Amino acid sequence: MLSRLVIVSASALKGSGPLGAGLVQASRSLHTTSQSLAPVPPLPETGGKVRHGLFPEELFQLLYPKTGVTGPYMLGTGLLVYLLSKELYVINHETFAAASIGTIIVVGVKKFGPSVAAFADKLNEEKVAKAQEVKDQAISVLTQAIEDEKKEQWRVEGRSMLFDAKRNNVAMLLETNYRERLHMVTTEVKRRLEYQLALQNLHRRMEQEHLVSWVEKNVVSSITPQQEKESIAKCITDLKVLAKASQAQARA
Amino acid sequence: LVLTLVLSFFDQFLSPTFLGIPLIAVALALPWVMFPALPSQWLPNRQLLLQSWFINRFTQQLLLPLNTGGHKWALLFASLMLFLITLNMLGLLPYTFTPTTQLSLNLGLAVPLWLATVIIGLRNQTTVALGHLLPEGTPTPLIPVLVIIETISLFIRPLALGVRLTANLTAGHLLIQLIATAAFVLLPLMPAVAALTAVLLLLLTLLEVAVAMIQAYVFVLLLSLYLQENI
Repeated sequence: MLSRLVIVSASALKGSGPLGAGLVQASRSLHTTSQSLAPVPPLPETGGKVRHGLFPEELFQLLYPKTGVTGPYMLGTGLLVYLLSKELYVINHETFAAASIGTIIVVGVKKFGPSVAAFADKLNEEKVAKAQEVKDQAISVLTQAIEDEKKEQWRVEGRSMLFDAKRNNVAMLLETNYRERLHMVTTEVKRRLEYQLALQNLHRRMEQEHLVSWVEKNVVSSITPQQEKESIAKCITDLKVLAKASQAQARA
Repeated sequence: LVLTLVLSFFDQFLSPTFLGIPLIAVALALPWVMFPALPSQWLPNRQLLLQSWFINRFTQQLLLPLNTGGHKWALLFASLMLFLITLNMLGLLPYTFTPTTQLSLNLGLAVPLWLATVIIGLRNQTTVALGHLLPEGTPTPLIPVLVIIETISLFIRPLALGVRLTANLTAGHLLIQLIATAAFVLLPLMPAVAALTAVLLLLLTLLEVAVAMIQAYVFVLLLSLYLQENI
């Protein structure tokens, strides 16, 4: 685990610092290729695989061809037994202290490990979600803008119909106005003609009446008193005859 | 892996040397290895993420009561906290040397930082800094006595800071050693009692983990409080 740390930091150091840059450049000649750092190789998503929390999986893979599955365990046991038997590692009070702190670490990692890892993942997720939200919002705003633009274009098409309708309206107004004025003209003209007609009628009647009254006057003036006596006498005789006739009719 | 000829329980506090080469620098530089630099990638791995989250939250919380002038101390406080907490926690592993058990280190951290806060206070706001020597609302006859007492408490502060850290850690380590030795010695004699002692050791180690973190936090918190008074 710490060996991996050393390897990683060594490769990081190679690129940093004055001596490190020199080490890197030593294997590359001066500006012969158009080298660039892009595209950057993708970073691993998870850490290296470890067994029992400490030993990298590569060790087990390394020993598998020669010693099988139990190889690394035998190696570990052998090492431990060697250290103990040769008293290179003496069991003393520190071993107990190591055992207790080891227990605490192991129990702590087993118990709180998943929740802490989930928390760390959640922090990352939130970061990604925020950026994703910005991107999604931008996309939705733009799609909305596209739809609005399309709607505006559709509206522009409908505008010609609106203009036609307005044109029709105006034409109708003009037509009605024209007809009204025409009607007014005809009524005026008719009135004038009727006046003339009435005037002529009046003339005619006046002439007639005048003529009739002149004729009457002349006739009345032409009746002499003699004629008048005669006509009255005749009327009286006629009346007597009629009276006799009616009396007779009444008696019969 | 050395022949552990335990002469006394205080050998664990000797400054470590290997073939005459002092290793104290290595022991002090070890926390630097524990906190790798942030790479330029957007989503860091879990360790870096958790570390940077912790540092951010801690610094934010610590700087809450400080005014803008105190924010200049953010880097110092954060790095001090990380340094102390890492040293303390690493010291709980077996066969390790904890630099913070050395009074020289703790006083070397406490005195300059405390003195810096005092000098800042006296330079920038002399009357206010001197005014701290007299709590509000004291009855007039008590004023001289109280000024003397407050001055003493002011000068005791760096000592208290340093000695608190040293004493806590030293005591903790000593206790672990003692109880582990007791369990180890009792194992062939009275296994049941040894088992009980082992349980006690487990609980003590748990306590020591807590103490390690708390003491580091208290050190930095008190310094931030002293700064708050004087900035």
